[in-house]
Amino acid sequence: MKKLNIEKYIPAGIDYGQEIKWLAAGIGASCFYSLGFLFRFSAERGRLFQRVGLEKVLREGAIMADFPEILDKSLMGFGLLICGMVILAVYHYFYHYQGSKSIYLMRRLPDRWELWRRCLALPLLCTAAAVLLAGLLLLLYFGIYLLATPAVCLTPGQWQKIWQAFLPAY
Amino acid sequence: MLNISNLKKSYSGKQALKGVNLSLDRGEIIGLFGENGAGKTTLMKCILGYLRYQGQITLDGQAITRKNIGRLSFATSEHSFFPNLTAKDHKEFYSAHFPAFRSKRFDGLLEFFELPAAKLVRRLSTGQQNQIEVILALCQGADYILMDEPFAGNDVFNREDFYKVLLGILEPGETVLLSTHLLEEVEKFIGRAVLLRQGQILGDVLMQDLEERGDTLMSYVKESYQYKADRVGKALSQLSDDR
Repeated sequence: MKKLNIEKYIPAGIDYGQEIKWLAAGIGASCFYSLGFLFRFSAERGRLFQRVGLEKVLREGAIMADFPEILDKSLMGFGLLICGMVILAVYHYFYHYQGSKSIYLMRRLPDRWELWRRCLALPLLCTAAAVLLAGLLLLLYFGIYLLATPAVCLTPGQWQKIWQAFLPAY
Repeated sequence: MLNISNLKKSYSGKQALKGVNLSLDRGEIIGLFGENGAGKTTLMKCILGYLRYQGQITLDGQAITRKNIGRLSFATSEHSFFPNLTAKDHKEFYSAHFPAFRSKRFDGLLEFFELPAAKLVRRLSTGQQNQIEVILALCQGADYILMDEPFAGNDVFNREDFYKVLLGILEPGETVLLSTHLLEEVEKFIGRAVLLRQGQILGDVLMQDLEERGDTLMSYVKESYQYKADRVGKALSQLSDDR
């Protein structure tokens, strides 16, 4: 199998190792920040129960908070990361003005997409990774929410509420 | 043939090029001269498509697009190399993007100028960086090599070497358009001189014609520019009188 040469997808001469480290740190921090959901969920779930002696008993008529409410801004880190990718793409472009005007060379390459590929590939890849991870975490947390909440405490239409939270016009 | 007709370029209302007409044949070495702000760099940037312009620039009758842009190369005093790559990395980059890249010429020139192949270009001296810039332009495999003040910062011996190498390595089909202020230095190496003044072609002469007339490039330029030789003397004496 042909080995992917990452140097073809970043501005020539840039320290991509450092960039990848920062991006990995950003993704890691976003995942870590999203764990806040589990703490909030655990607290909300705890409120559904009352202690009778040594036993925890479900409160009568207890209703679990809606998923989007508990999720709150848990996935905000990914949003910030995606905004950072716009800045990274702009930095990649202006990198061609640092120390020389290598932009002159990039703009006269026979392959018109070379400059854009090198400026955008890493930010787009990271954006895709952030969206994918955020989506997977959303599904995971929703699964936890559905499975770990007593069925009688769930209010219907949670999926719809998620959509409404992300797309208010929906 | 690189043909420029009625080329006009303005920067926020100020006309930098005022209807330039110029044809460059294959195999010529042309010196492009003019005072600062005459439009030399603007002319080259228009040819390369870096600037929007009015008029027409064609390469063998075709507009310059990505399809034929590889037939033009550019060496500039602003430098267009990647400072964080080595000469060897540049060779790989150029080879990957310009199929006509002249590897053998590149290695030969690198050796001749004793340039380190494995050192980051940003760590080289300004003179060496200029050499890399020019070597890359010469080795891209282009038919038209545009050079904009490429030797700013090089010593006179180095420049002399370069002119000689240029004459020695260029193949009959390769054209060089060299913009410089170093009139006397290049006059032995160019075949044609084009003078620009305030965005217009002021003169276009073959060096052979100048030689036959017993004229030098400097006197031709001074004559074309209507340079007043006694200008400095007059100004100085006026200044002394004021005292």
